[in-house]
Amino acid sequence: MIEAHDLHKKFGVVTALDGVGFHAPDGAVTGLIGPNGAGKTTALRILYAIMRPDRGSASVDGFDTVTARRQVQHRIGVLPDARGLYPRLTGREHIRYFGRLHGLEVGALERRIDELAEILAMGEFIDRRAKGLSKGQTLKVALARALVHDPHNVMLDEPTNGLDIASSRAVRDLIRHMRDQGRCILFCSHIMQEVAAISDRLVIVSRGRVAAQGTPDELRRRTGQQDLEEVFLAITAADSPLREGAA
Amino acid sequence: MEHLRAMGVVLLKEVTDNVRDRRAMLLALVYPLMAPLLIGVLINMFSGISGGADDDAEKAKPALAVYGGDRAPALIAFLQGRGYSILPVTGDPKEMVRTGKADNIIAVSKNFHEKYDAKQPAEVFVLLDSSRLRGLSALKRSMTLLGDFNREIGQKRLVEAGVDPALAAPLTVSSVNISESTNITDFFLYMIPPFIIFTIFMGGIYLAVDSTSGERERGSLEPLLINPVERWALMMGKFAAALLFTALAVFIHLLAFKGAFFWAAGTESSFYRALSPTVMISLFFVALPLMFFAVGVQVIIATLTRSYKEAQTYLGLMPLVPALPGLILVFSPLKAQSWMMAIPIFAQTVVFGDLVRGDVSSALDIALSMVITLGFASVLALIAAWFYEREQVIFGG
Repeated sequence: MIEAHDLHKKFGVVTALDGVGFHAPDGAVTGLIGPNGAGKTTALRILYAIMRPDRGSASVDGFDTVTARRQVQHRIGVLPDARGLYPRLTGREHIRYFGRLHGLEVGALERRIDELAEILAMGEFIDRRAKGLSKGQTLKVALARALVHDPHNVMLDEPTNGLDIASSRAVRDLIRHMRDQGRCILFCSHIMQEVAAISDRLVIVSRGRVAAQGTPDELRRRTGQQDLEEVFLAITAADSPLREGAA
Repeated sequence: MEHLRAMGVVLLKEVTDNVRDRRAMLLALVYPLMAPLLIGVLINMFSGISGGADDDAEKAKPALAVYGGDRAPALIAFLQGRGYSILPVTGDPKEMVRTGKADNIIAVSKNFHEKYDAKQPAEVFVLLDSSRLRGLSALKRSMTLLGDFNREIGQKRLVEAGVDPALAAPLTVSSVNISESTNITDFFLYMIPPFIIFTIFMGGIYLAVDSTSGERERGSLEPLLINPVERWALMMGKFAAALLFTALAVFIHLLAFKGAFFWAAGTESSFYRALSPTVMISLFFVALPLMFFAVGVQVIIATLTRSYKEAQTYLGLMPLVPALPGLILVFSPLKAQSWMMAIPIFAQTVVFGDLVRGDVSSALDIALSMVITLGFASVLALIAAWFYEREQVIFGG
């Protein structure tokens, strides 16, 4: 379970987060959605414990992301927006590197790599260097690397960004499968259809705040819109600079 | 233990990654060969020059190229009497010198015979190409020999005229070489310290940049920091990898010097003997704390700069600046003193100098240089670790 309470974060004069609070329960896919620059990435960075909030707190399975950073990081698997592969290492070496950093024992690690290769249908490319991999293959390597330690909580930033239809569907199937295993999935995107297709709960972030959260049906009822894209626009429009200009 | 394990994992990854990188390998394996190669070539060239100046009895004397020697039998006899063989020149003497077929040529003037017999000054020319170094030493040899001939014949004529030849020689000039070394080329030995310093600051530079600013720019630093490992342990793994590459570069550098000296001057040369295995091992160990120091500076700069390019700009200057004191000391060697040991880089420069000259510094001084530099290096490592802890590390700056 992932929780955020009243997160504030400033970079110089720019306010990235201005009181973000939400929770992502186990056994559900929580979609974090918002326009570009809304603060999604900053919120995620605080949740995966590489940044500290100026105010407020966040926790994973009850462990505070600031005071219990390493316990938090043991319990999460993260696919950041920048996939960040090493061009000269093979897919297998990437997964092995992170597995070792998680302290996995050699035999178990190699078995886990084979298992992930099967789940993600990584063909022979798992033994090719990352430099020549396609976007879909790169994503699979980054995803396998994030899941090598079998984490209970999974955070995915734009996981289907740039993928073809078949690969996108494979990723969505994997996300559902992990949810059905009882894991907590926090999934971040700026594409509404993608989030709508898969999320059990939605958290809409706009200009550093949570503009609304709930199940898609709850949000539809609240805004009176059927189409989730319209729901999103109705909710974020209240904060939109255009609306401010018009008012 | 756990941290040490994580450091080992990072070290192994960085080494695997960079061994596959042509540029990293170039810096660690090929660059260290350049300076020794250059010095080898220089020694080879210069030994021809300085060797000719002393003309030891044991050494075979070079043949002297003489144009129009048949017009000056007395001169030829004198030169042959000094043990030189004569190489008569038949073609155009100027052309021969210009094309480098002869280092220089003693040309006897057309009317030499008449003038000489008439006891008037007879003209002799020494042709040389002053843009060729070998020509200069040959010139010195020719001028000395002709001067000797001049004096000998002049004295003989004074005696014949009933004059005391001492009257014509108000000065007796001799140069006394007080250098312990027998060869001017020993100068090149003093160039070893700055080159070692240069290599220390160069060998691991690519890896330090690639594994810090490069990692950030590729976007791979963020995923790495999400692992449940202390950041300082990650940093130290990279540090150790850069240190390993630096040590490899210095090791190759020293071997290359030994090889170049052997090739250029043979096993009997002062160069080859100066770099005995003991001296080489000492140089390496004295260099170790400075390698630690160099990597510390590199990691700090690579952590603070925003991009790979920016890091390279600063780090490109780096090997040169620390090598400067050593370059100055090439021209005025300094004996190591205890106070110098407190200054990293300078301490190693003077100790290296003592070691290659065979002028062994006191063990205490050497230990002092190592401990103090290691102290500075540890502070740098702490600063680097602190920079890694800051969240700005993912953005740079």
